Order: sequence, then C-alpha cells, then structure tokens
Amino acid sequence: MEYQAPVSDRLIRRLQWIWLGGAFLLVGGIIAWIVHLIVASWRLDDVIQASVGISIVAIPIFLVFMGVIFYVFWGVALHGRKRED
Amino acid sequence: MAEIRDAHEDILLAPIEYTGRGFYWAVAFLSVLILWGAIAYAVQFTQGLGVTGLHQPVGWGFYVTNFVFFIGISHAGTLISAILRLSKAEWRRPITRMAEVITCMVIFIGAGQILVDLGRPDRMMNVLRHGRYQSPLLWDATSISAYLTASLTYLYLPMIPDIAILRDRLGKRKLLYSVLALGWTGTEHQQKVLNRAIAIMAVLVIPIAVSVHSVVSFVFSMTLQPSWHSTIFGPYFVVGAIFSGIAGLIVTMIIFRKAYGLDYYLKPIHFRYLGQLLLIMALLWFYFTFAEYLTGYYGAEPEEMKIFWAKFSGPFWPFFWAMVLCNFVVPLLCLASLKQHTVGKVLIASLSIIIGMWLERFIIVVPTLSFPRLPFPEGVYAPTWVEWGETAGSLGLFALFYLLFTKFFPIISIWEIREGRENSVREVEERIISYLPGEVEEKP
Repeated sequence: MEYQAPVSDRLIRRLQWIWLGGAFLLVGGIIAWIVHLIVASWRLDDVIQASVGISIVAIPIFLVFMGVIFYVFWGVALHGRKRED
Repeated sequence: MAEIRDAHEDILLAPIEYTGRGFYWAVAFLSVLILWGAIAYAVQFTQGLGVTGLHQPVGWGFYVTNFVFFIGISHAGTLISAILRLSKAEWRRPITRMAEVITCMVIFIGAGQILVDLGRPDRMMNVLRHGRYQSPLLWDATSISAYLTASLTYLYLPMIPDIAILRDRLGKRKLLYSVLALGWTGTEHQQKVLNRAIAIMAVLVIPIAVSVHSVVSFVFSMTLQPSWHSTIFGPYFVVGAIFSGIAGLIVTMIIFRKAYGLDYYLKPIHFRYLGQLLLIMALLWFYFTFAEYLTGYYGAEPEEMKIFWAKFSGPFWPFFWAMVLCNFVVPLLCLASLKQHTVGKVLIASLSIIIGMWLERFIIVVPTLSFPRLPFPEGVYAPTWVEWGETAGSLGLFALFYLLFTKFFPIISIWEIREGRENSVREVEERIISYLPGEVEEKP
C-alpha cells in the first residue's frame, strides 16, 4: 500500500461545505430557473396558469431534495461527529 | 466469519485497487466509439443537420429515438431499486447499486441527445431564458431535472458507508473519500439519519420516475398527429421504460459478474427473479401494444390507418415485426422456464428486449412523421453515418462512464451485504411470523 500524507481535517471540512454548497447551487439553480419562467410569463402576459401549476408541483419537490441533503449533512457530518466526540 | 467476510469484500474492492489489462482494452474500444461519435458531431456542427438523414417531413429520427430509449433505460435504476428497497426484498442487496448507477449515467446521455438534435446548439440558452411552460418539451426538461437530482441523491446516500470503508481501507484518493464520506463512522445516530433519508428518497423517487416517462410520452401524445395522440401513451411509455430498464440492468449485471468475478454475489437466483419480472413486463408490454393498435384500427381514421398499414405491411414492416419478435416472442420462449441455464436464457431475452425496445421507440417516432396529417409530401427517413456515429458514441460514453465509476466506487454495496448477513435472517423470520395467523411454534 503506497504511503499518503495524512489529510488535514480542516481541509476536509471545508471541502465538505463546498460540496454541500454545490448541491444547493444545483437544486437552487433549478428552482431559480422555474421562478424565472413564471416571471417571464407574467411579464409577457403569457398563460401564467401553466407556469404556476407546474411550479406548484416542481418547486416543493426540489425543496424536499434540498432538505434531505441538508438533513444528511447535518445528521452525519455535523451532529453525528459531535455525538461520537 | 469475520475472515470470510473480509476475503469476500476484497473481491468488491479489487477493481478499485488493481487495474487489469481487460480494463485498458475496454477503454480503448469504447474510446474508438466515442471518437466516431465526436467526429460525427463535429461534421454535423460545422455543416448543419443536412449531413444527417433528417429532412422534411421527418425532423425526428435516431436522436429522438435514442432520447426516449435512454430515458427509458434510466428507469432500471432508481425506480427498481426504490421498489425493491421499500418492499424489503432481501435479494435486492447486490443489485441496487448497479441499478442506481445506470440511471445516473444514462440520464445524462439521454438528455444529451436533445442537444445533439439541435440544428443550432448555440440557441440552447434561449430555451432556458425564454422557455414557456405551455410546451411539453419544457415539462420534460423540468421532470428530467427532478429525476436526475433525485437519482444522484439516491445513489449517493447509500454509498456513504461504503465510501467510509474505502477511506479507511484504501491507500489512495484519501482526500476524495474523506470528503464524500462526511465523517461517517457508523454510529447509531448516523445510521438512523441515513436510513431515514434513504427511505424518504425511495418514496419520492417512485412517483418522479413514473412522471418522467409519462411526460416524455406527452411530447408525442399532446400533438394531434396520427398514432401519437393517445391517452394510454403515458402508461405505455412507463411500462416500456421499466421493461427495457430491467433488461439493461440484467445485461450490465452479467457483464460485470464475468469481468469482476462477482459470481459469489450475483447468483442464478437473482437472475431468476429478475427474469420473472421481465416476463411479467413482456406480457404487460404486449397488452399495451395490442390495446394501442386495436384502438387505432377499430377507429379506422384514414390518417391513422395509413400509418397502421405502413407499420404492419408497408415500408416499416421489418422494424415492426422485429420489434414484436424481440419484445414478445423471444422473451416468452426464453423466460417461460428458468430452471436450467438461467443466466444464459435471461441474457438472451434481455439483449433481445434492448434491441426490441429501441425498435419500438423508432416505430413510434418515425412513421408518424413520414406520413403527416397536414398536406405535406410524404417522406422516407434513412439515417446517415452521422446518426450511426452519434448512437455508437452515446453507447460508448455510457459504458465508459459506468466502467470508470467501478474504478472509484464498489459496484455492489458492501455495507448492505454486511447488514443483510448480520440482520436479515432474523428480521425476515420475525416478519414471516408476524404475517402468519395465530402463534407459531418454536423449533425444538
């Protein structure tokens, strides 16, 4: 087995936060895009019901994804480690 | 017991630790396919869609066929895995990871087909900036985004304990595994959080997966085109997707069983169960196909009948009857009895279904466009080397992504197998006792 220098805990923690930020950016970006489409249809006086109808279903689903990701991060990475200490 | 367990777990870690000559040969072969696809796309990009066989009135050909096909294959993973997990099917344990990875890899390839199909890819951003939710194409974009996000999350969560094993046992990629393991040590609290999150995702993923393929079908059925405007297209597409998805999963399992020596984990019983599932799906697929064509035939609307006969005895008859042969006749013959040569029979049936389901998508997309309802001239679609190249490149890209995944992460969930060994027998026994009426006598 090849030797590897020990990895700094602080670096790992920072990268984990960046990972979480990336996940939130992806999901948040999709939500922002859906909201943008609603605003665009509102501004153009286009059929807004379609945009609102779909977003009523879609946005909560994406919010639940965000919630699950944060719950795991909080429960495993933050709270889980605290309990172990 | 512990020694036996470790020795067998080494089989699962071996592909990550060591790289054999076969891997490089596989990468070389897949790279050739991808190169073919890249050259084809470069030619199409510089010279336009005129280099393909896509001309008026057939504007959708191989690319849209591939899109529907790949999105269908993606149902192999997350949906099947979620159903097996929620129904507590214990035989799922060596299968779920393989299935989930298929979804995540193939959904990128499927969505990519739409980009390839664009004559002016530089206008792609206009869809994002000025999209209108009245268009089913945008419903597709939204539901595929939801499915992709759900599938990535659903793949990642059950991988956390395995990534922690890699972090602790392997001497390489320490930083990557440490970050992704999220400090997992396997405490009771961590396990509880993870199990709860996986359960939530499993419940969420099923309706999302069903909705994705329904929405893919809406792209066709929301139009007034003959043979597309059908109310059963949603469930018909979902059934076809699960059907091709299971077939894709079986082929993947057999390839990696052979390549990585996973016979100890992927036993004939797994293939028998999946084969039975495949047989049920073949019958369901036949039912939906029969219902779809019978309704059209009985209505006898002239435009509809033109396409009907084009498929049954006209220019598309070889594809139509090959589809019936591949999706129904061959699977029925192979899967009717699985007592002997289980793996071989299931493999033949699965390969046949993959071909048959691709033909089914082709038969849905192209004939309707060849005989348009509006008074446009009829047309024939003949793909050029560009479309063949893109198709080969897409398959190559999917296989390469999958292969690379197996070099970074175990393709069979180590912790779920461990958990199964330690707890399943007791849990299943308790569950069975709880199903039975009255008191169950203890064994002497």
